[in-house]
Amino acid sequence: MTPLPQQTGLSHCSVAASAAEAGYRIDGFEFIPRSTRVIALDDGAEQLLQDCSRLPWAGAHFLAFEGAQRGSGDGLTGDSALRTLDGEAVWLSEELVGADVTVMVATTDAAAPRAAAIGQACAVNGIMTAGVVVQSGRDASRVTSSLRPYAMVLLVSAEIDDVPAVLVALRA
Amino acid sequence: MLKPQINDLLTQTGPGTATGAVFRSYWLPVLLAEELPEPGSPPVRVKVLSERLVAFRDDDGNYGLIDEFCPHRGVSLWFGKNEGNGLRCAYHGWKFDVGGRCLEVPSEPPESRFCDKVTVTSYPLVRIGDLLWTYMGNPDAQPPLPEWEFALVPAEQTFTSKRWQESNWLQAMEGGIDSSHVSWLHSGGLKSDPLFKGAKGNEYNLSDMRPFFEVADADGGLFIGARRNAEEGHYYWRITPFVLPSFTMIPPRGDHPVHGHFWIPIDDENCWVYTFDYHPVRPLTPEERQAMKDGHGVHNEYEPDTFRPLQNKDNDYMMDRDAQRRGETFSGIKGIAMQDASLQESMGPIVDRSKERLVSTDTGIIKARQRLRRAAEELRDHGTKPPGVDPAHQRVRSAAVVLPKDEDFIVACREMLKVQPGVRQASV
Repeated sequence: MTPLPQQTGLSHCSVAASAAEAGYRIDGFEFIPRSTRVIALDDGAEQLLQDCSRLPWAGAHFLAFEGAQRGSGDGLTGDSALRTLDGEAVWLSEELVGADVTVMVATTDAAAPRAAAIGQACAVNGIMTAGVVVQSGRDASRVTSSLRPYAMVLLVSAEIDDVPAVLVALRA
Repeated sequence: MLKPQINDLLTQTGPGTATGAVFRSYWLPVLLAEELPEPGSPPVRVKVLSERLVAFRDDDGNYGLIDEFCPHRGVSLWFGKNEGNGLRCAYHGWKFDVGGRCLEVPSEPPESRFCDKVTVTSYPLVRIGDLLWTYMGNPDAQPPLPEWEFALVPAEQTFTSKRWQESNWLQAMEGGIDSSHVSWLHSGGLKSDPLFKGAKGNEYNLSDMRPFFEVADADGGLFIGARRNAEEGHYYWRITPFVLPSFTMIPPRGDHPVHGHFWIPIDDENCWVYTFDYHPVRPLTPEERQAMKDGHGVHNEYEPDTFRPLQNKDNDYMMDRDAQRRGETFSGIKGIAMQDASLQESMGPIVDRSKERLVSTDTGIIKARQRLRRAAEELRDHGTKPPGVDPAHQRVRSAAVVLPKDEDFIVACREMLKVQPGVRQASV
């Protein structure tokens, strides 16, 4: 057993930061999995998420933006229709219940108004938002600009596999 | 979160490793030029990418970086005598030139050419700016010399230091990419450090504690933008370039010199942090240079005659809980460099990333790891040259700007993020 620092005269940090002490880290911990909503804002993003959704996740919901609105005619303050990637209709307000983070995925600037609708809803509910723009060689500045006010983090990425990489890192 | 095998891929940099091969694709800083100040200087031990080497300068001023150990009986050439055109082993007098060629084996007859059959590993060593750089890869693939701006401006405009960090290179480098910690860990320094204080941009930092982040691909790596609210209808952007494998540059503040770092693996549990400060268009003032030497800004104080920080894990980094309580420092550790290093070393020599719980503001780190992983795998599997080797990728700057809210920082700052000789840095 490694002696306590008081017994050896060594500083706490020099013992604590050693490779030997790293072996005493608590292995595994109880946690409630993060509740992640991953929403495709356009057809290209939905195709990307179809592949991504087949990987094992810790409860992430993969969704596509449908467009229909209820509650308000302005497309921003009402509720937005989504669907699961299997085609089941759901409402954004219902999906955001219990969500910790919403990741919006876009490949074209057609996604601009959709990002606004989701971003507004998340802001009202205090939900963290992230955006991933998969450029694929096209100029994505308009969709980036549209996501910017609503995404606390924006990844303007040219790589398709950045989407699953981000979700894996977040334990989605 | 990274699986253990990916963590190993990115953290292991010794011979035969994938990320080690990435590092070997570049010119790497391995010494301060002042460590071999003149021809005939005593040899200096160099450990880099888990190889033990010794550096010296022959009487003609040529730099050499060769295997530390004499091929005769394995004695360290650090004890050797720098004599004329080579380094002579102190044990039996074998002599080697800067190219690792054996010049003499004294115990052999004078006519013997046995020495022609003996060479030790050697790498080119060149001086650019304040640093000595080496290339440890395939000689046939040697890239052009590096073109980092801080190393090419006149000597009076630049200052470089180095320190030993007792952790793996990657957890150290990730601190340079992650600007979300600045508002917490370094909150005391913006008001008081002579190399930071007084900039208009600091007001935005201190009034908006929740920056939003944007991560964009760049030819050599990434640009990471952190935006905060500025005047009505505008954002204050601080843009950090990351160039593979381990270069970052901190966005400027006012007209202060601009700084950045390289993290160079010594072995898998230690790295060198090379820290530069430079001004693109004017000499550093005597006060600025003295502040850097005194350990202000992103530099640090040292244990005498070493490159080990004065504040280190053997003295608990000279923790000052009273200063922490008073709010002078957030962690109780003085100085930005050691505020970072103390926490990064506390993770353990190689942090276990399988235990991480990242959040979306860690996206810069996530993306950097992706780029590094991709570079390592592409090089290993297809021989693809990694990003950042091309000198064009090294001609980057950081920037701090105020932009209208609807402007894309990458588009608006395209020219500012490139080196423009004679043009000052984009700063607020």
